[in-house]
Amino acid sequence: MSDQDTTHEFGADAAPGDQDVGPHEVATGIRNYLIGLGLAVALTVGSFWVASGTSLVYTPGVPMALAAFAVAQMGVHLAFFLHITTGPDNTNNALALAFGALIIGIVIAGSLWIMYHLNANMMVPGNMMDMHMQP
Amino acid sequence: MLGKLTWAAIPLDQPIPLAASGLIIVVVLGVLAWATIKGHWPYLWHEWITSVDHKRIGVMYCTLGLIMLVRGFIDAVMMRSQQALAFHAQGYLPPEHYDQIFSAHGTIMIFFVAMPVVIGLMNFAVPLQLGVRDVAFPTFNSVSLWLTASGILLVNVSLVIGEFAKTGWLAYPPLSELKFSPGVGVDYYLWSLQISGIGTLLTGINFVTTILKVRAPGMIYTRMPIFCWTALASNLLIVAAFPILTATFAMLLLDRYLGFHFFTTDAGGNAMMYINLIWAWGHPEVYILILPAFGIFSEVISTFSGKPLFGYRSMIIATMAICILSFLVWLHHFFTMGAGADVNGFFGIMTMIIAVPTGVKIFNWLFTMWGGRIRFATPMLWSLSFMVTFVIGGMTGVLLAVPPADFVLHNSLFLVAHFHNVIIGGVLFGVFAAYTYWFPKAFGFRLDEQWGKAAFWLWTIGFYVAFMPLYVLGLEGMTRRMQHYDVAAWHPWLLIAAGGAALILAGIGCQVAQLVVSIRNREALRDTTGDPWDGRTLEWATASPPPAFNFAVMPNVTGEEAYWGIKQKALAQRQLSELPNYKPIEMPRNSPTGFVTAFFAVATGFALIWHIWWMVMIGLVGAFATFVVFAWRDVAEYDLSAAEVAEADRQRREARVALVEGREPGIAPAITTKRPEHDPHRLRGLDPDGGHTGPAPKRIVTGYGFWIFLLSDFVMFSGFYASYAVLSHATAGGPGPQQLFHLPTVALETAFLLLSSFVCGMATIASNARNMLWTQVCYVITGLLGIGFLFLEGSEFIKMLAEGAGPQRSAFLSAFFTLVGCHGLHITVGLLWLGTMMAQFWAKGFRPDILRRGMCFGLFWHALDIIWVGIFTNVYLLGTSP
Repeated sequence: MSDQDTTHEFGADAAPGDQDVGPHEVATGIRNYLIGLGLAVALTVGSFWVASGTSLVYTPGVPMALAAFAVAQMGVHLAFFLHITTGPDNTNNALALAFGALIIGIVIAGSLWIMYHLNANMMVPGNMMDMHMQP
Repeated sequence: MLGKLTWAAIPLDQPIPLAASGLIIVVVLGVLAWATIKGHWPYLWHEWITSVDHKRIGVMYCTLGLIMLVRGFIDAVMMRSQQALAFHAQGYLPPEHYDQIFSAHGTIMIFFVAMPVVIGLMNFAVPLQLGVRDVAFPTFNSVSLWLTASGILLVNVSLVIGEFAKTGWLAYPPLSELKFSPGVGVDYYLWSLQISGIGTLLTGINFVTTILKVRAPGMIYTRMPIFCWTALASNLLIVAAFPILTATFAMLLLDRYLGFHFFTTDAGGNAMMYINLIWAWGHPEVYILILPAFGIFSEVISTFSGKPLFGYRSMIIATMAICILSFLVWLHHFFTMGAGADVNGFFGIMTMIIAVPTGVKIFNWLFTMWGGRIRFATPMLWSLSFMVTFVIGGMTGVLLAVPPADFVLHNSLFLVAHFHNVIIGGVLFGVFAAYTYWFPKAFGFRLDEQWGKAAFWLWTIGFYVAFMPLYVLGLEGMTRRMQHYDVAAWHPWLLIAAGGAALILAGIGCQVAQLVVSIRNREALRDTTGDPWDGRTLEWATASPPPAFNFAVMPNVTGEEAYWGIKQKALAQRQLSELPNYKPIEMPRNSPTGFVTAFFAVATGFALIWHIWWMVMIGLVGAFATFVVFAWRDVAEYDLSAAEVAEADRQRREARVALVEGREPGIAPAITTKRPEHDPHRLRGLDPDGGHTGPAPKRIVTGYGFWIFLLSDFVMFSGFYASYAVLSHATAGGPGPQQLFHLPTVALETAFLLLSSFVCGMATIASNARNMLWTQVCYVITGLLGIGFLFLEGSEFIKMLAEGAGPQRSAFLSAFFTLVGCHGLHITVGLLWLGTMMAQFWAKGFRPDILRRGMCFGLFWHALDIIWVGIFTNVYLLGTSP
């Protein structure tokens, strides 16, 4: 391993979490975090507003809207707080993230799909399951 | 004082376990006494126990695994002999003992034989093949080893004190729930696997980081040996799959210890969710084991055919395709559970598709041998036997992938025959090939060929005699795990199978004899050149055994088969490369951290199994203290001077002279110098080192490793979240989200955590700008906001508990408390970490290693906020929305 261990390695690779600004460009760094904070606050407020039962959102669409807000906010955190970019120095970091997201998606969606069918085939649709499972 | 532990835990009334445990105790005491009398302890402590050298760790992993192979095989012999005797009779093993034996056999063979040996081989070979000096995190590597050893120790303690699980190797609920398995057997199972699982996860992180970030100059991805590629795929699977296992076992533990209702038969619990999740880990696990074996066969077949591997790139693509596809087939383990035709159809087809990349590999190996000058040494024999045996096992696997066929064969001995066919014929034969292939590299002398060939024949024939009858028995309707039976038609086949087990026993005997004979004849079998097989990859470029630093000068890789190229050039010119310019080498210092952590892990695990709560506290505090002490150390490396390196390399170069002058039998310049050229960098006359300048700087290596850890943490949360989503309606008549969640509190919690994440970013900026005051101020605010979050969450939990809406009330509440509580636990750990880190900044200033820790803490803290975004929207807002 190389001996030089500077905070910011420009060139082939970047450590995840390292901002693409030099250690002395403090103002730029803070500005990025402030933009992220602003966006995150806006999206959080949006989520709470959608869930509060506003008549402006079609009720069956609320879960979709919440999912959209959640994904957007996770993206904001990744981009502005964790500094994951699409740049060539971040390829490994982004690929690892994509692999993780794929596995998480498979585990959650696959489990829900399988368990939904299992429950349906056992004639205990969602809300009746509790009664069925009573001792 | 001692929880559930009493004298009744010693099986004094059962002669077989008593005799077995007595024998183990005598052997262990004998070995300890021998080491003490001979005065070996200082050597063992300094050279092995505290070693962070990847080669030593690899050897220790393999030794552990091979010893446990004997233990697991004794269980197998007992099962075969019981079934041979138990026709119209009870045999000699009572049912409750027989149940423990088949559970222990499966658990041990997968977790404590196959995993340690495969990890050990990766440890030994991967850094050497990549041309580097060690793995990315040498001390964590030692921690991994010792945590695995802790799990092994706990499993073996269960023989002497208490009992083991009687539930089968995956401990399906509801049988494994407290109500139906009140003993400590399942607890032994769960804690030993949780502890060794942490070790395995650390290994996965370590090797993904090593292979992606720590490679010799010029070792671009498409020049890495196939074993490194398969190791990469295997370790990616470890970091993606093992967290699911951890989450699943954690939920079963909560059921058993705290009365939660994830998988119980009452209060809305759903045992099917356990089976779903455990196989979401379980199927990738199969490929974690077999992929490195595929890599070994690729190396062996190419070396002993004297040809480059056929279809190198298709091999990479096939490996990575299996890596992804292995996550899309898990339902085929429970086709019969009732998911219906749509779901079964999808997973059946995916299972058949995964056979395609495996078939590609078989053809690649065949074409590698085609036209080669094949040498039938023992490793090659194992590989040939593998190709035949594995194809049979793969075929029966594809047969089982057809859901209607599976409905007939599910849980029968046909299935047992199938998975032994692929695990013995694939993983175990691969391990034996690698053992013979890399033994001279590890110890400096070859293994005896005669005994090796005898072992090979006995194992291969023994395998067929032992397992082909099980296919017949399965088709005749015999189910697995039967303690006795009354069907006359089965009896002859079971007698034949027992005969097969005897042949395998003779094979193991030959392997022991081989080791003894080889050690005795080691001078005659000495590998003087470091290249006993006319190898092609970089591990053969260094001496056997390699020096601690592996390579005096890091090799510069300019094409595929790095060492083959160097060697052919030297053979053609009849001289070694020019004397390199030696530089001092920085090596990691030995550390007792792994051993001490393992000590506390064993104490904690044992105390948890027997409900000795004071000892649990001591163990946990001890483990935390160990990590603080480790993190506090100031000198992590030592330097070897250039003169020492030059002296060590001089001996290697002298030994090499015979080789390059053509005086080594069997090694000559390749007759055809024309070989297929794939490397686009060379074809297009680009930069010969492919733009890769060698291992990444430490900051990138550390950050990337931590990033991989975070991804595995996310996967663990996805396991908890999937359970919550499935169980969120299972309120068992109790309160639901609408009655329980208080959104203003959640809004305040969200605000605290978001601000905390922001201020943590400010602290990172301040520390990068080397401003101590602002660093500390920002970290203090980060911590205070985190404490505020925990306080709000804690009061919310206490209020719910007071209202009778605790996790014992319903499956929904169990899942809620686990998911949200796990996040809260992460925040708590983060705060402890923050405290020690602030102290380090204060005491030591902005040292690079402390700054790296600050970067990791920032990643951790931001990641926890991302998880919270998932929780507050999907749990709280979705639960209370109209």
